[in-house]
Amino acid sequence: MKSLEHGRVRIALRELRPGPGPALLAVHGLRGSSEEWGDSLASWKGAVHALDLTGHGESARLAGGAYHPELLAGDVDVAIAATAARHLVGRGLGAYLALLVAGSRADRIDGTLLLPGDGIEGGGPEPVFDDLAERFAAFHLRASGAVDGRADPALSALETDIRPPAYATSFARRARRLLLAEDGSARPPWWTAIRELGTAQIVSTRLPDALAALAP
Amino acid sequence: MTPPTFPGAVAPERTRRFVSGGLSLCLREWGDPAAAPLVLSHGMFDHGRGFDLLAPHLAERFRVIAIDARGHGDSDWADAYAWGCDVIDVVHVLRSLDQPAHLLGHSRGGGLMTDTAARCPELVRQLVNMDGFGPPPGGFRFPGEEPARTPPEELASFLDWRRRANAHRERRAYATLDDLAEHRRRQNPRLSLEWLRYFQYHGARETERGWTLKVDPHAGRGVGPWNPDWIGPGWRSLRAPMLAIIGSEQDTWGPLPEEVLAERLANVPHLDRGVVADAGHFMHIEQPERTARLLLDYLER
Repeated sequence: MKSLEHGRVRIALRELRPGPGPALLAVHGLRGSSEEWGDSLASWKGAVHALDLTGHGESARLAGGAYHPELLAGDVDVAIAATAARHLVGRGLGAYLALLVAGSRADRIDGTLLLPGDGIEGGGPEPVFDDLAERFAAFHLRASGAVDGRADPALSALETDIRPPAYATSFARRARRLLLAEDGSARPPWWTAIRELGTAQIVSTRLPDALAALAP
Repeated sequence: MTPPTFPGAVAPERTRRFVSGGLSLCLREWGDPAAAPLVLSHGMFDHGRGFDLLAPHLAERFRVIAIDARGHGDSDWADAYAWGCDVIDVVHVLRSLDQPAHLLGHSRGGGLMTDTAARCPELVRQLVNMDGFGPPPGGFRFPGEEPARTPPEELASFLDWRRRANAHRERRAYATLDDLAEHRRRQNPRLSLEWLRYFQYHGARETERGWTLKVDPHAGRGVGPWNPDWIGPGWRSLRAPMLAIIGSEQDTWGPLPEEVLAERLANVPHLDRGVVADAGHFMHIEQPERTARLLLDYLER
């Protein structure tokens, strides 16, 4: 386990399999960790790394709880710098973070595979301005509660974060190669907007097949 | 050194700590603890002592409670910042009081108090927003600053900064308190050096290297898909009446062009407007008595 820093954030990076060959970085979903990949990425022909996002797994919690996707994109960014990975696979929240990094570090990332999973699906494409008080009360209860003793309750902000489709597609347009793994289930608006661009490759959610399509 | 004085400035009568989201915040109070609570929120890079001129007037009728926002003044720094966390801090303070409060915010604090009131109507009696109506449609920009970049470019710049910004980055040190006052005056040319010296004394500390600001340099650093078009519609849920105040004079950070301001305020269900004559963005510092009169006429009428 290796420790990386950006700003005041300290995250854990796990080497799932040593090189040689092109390195892959795996980014887990909301309330997951690097452990969730198990040997599911074993078919990748190269080194495989997985990080624990801020507030997850072996990584430190955020003092003050201001979790948001752009900050967590910093976790992915320092991990690609440390591993020289040019391929990303992300699940749920991790898929969104991989998209942000693929678009903002387009010269560093050759291919990105987005898998369905938990995180940033509940906020919708734009804020809903009705029933603000009721929705805030429900959110605040989750964000300050201790429903699950292991996960930081403040991570709830990542369930309700607003993610406009046009914002997501601005990253998708810059990314070199995007692969969307689909199994026919409903996807959030940011995901379907990327699909509608027509430039992403649609692949199976069966990981060996999807990884074969991602390989250089 | 001896703390500077300023005509009319009154230090808080009580200062206490308040824990929210695991961070220790600094609350400063003036007035009878049994009086109706009036909670104040300062602007970006400011702190609660900026109310030293206004609060003594308000304390004639209210228990005035000024919050140092996280990362500002004498409150703890966070690892990172998000608007929603600041809203939750205010909610926690309001819930700790034994009755609904009047809210008053300046600049960023005005926006914060307005968003808080829209989310927690049961905690708020009346709301005063002093020139805190959000950035113009194109966002705040320093003179000469380049136009907005694309989201991927903005994020790349944010990520570059994250890689550089380590945990213990030292704040810039200024040789003298006067240097700190001069530095701030470049952003707020309408404010006197005498006031800025008073204000910066409380917002800075003297170290071996010189004077350094207490405010967290990370506090103003944000990036994401937030859109100024969301500001006005977010106020439709307000139930508390709002008094919206601007200064009569154009200043570095305000007021907004009237058509933009009117469009946003059209969403507020119960609205009064006020203008403080011969004042800019910091009306409570340039014209504390006039501002206080306007507020005391409005509150609890």
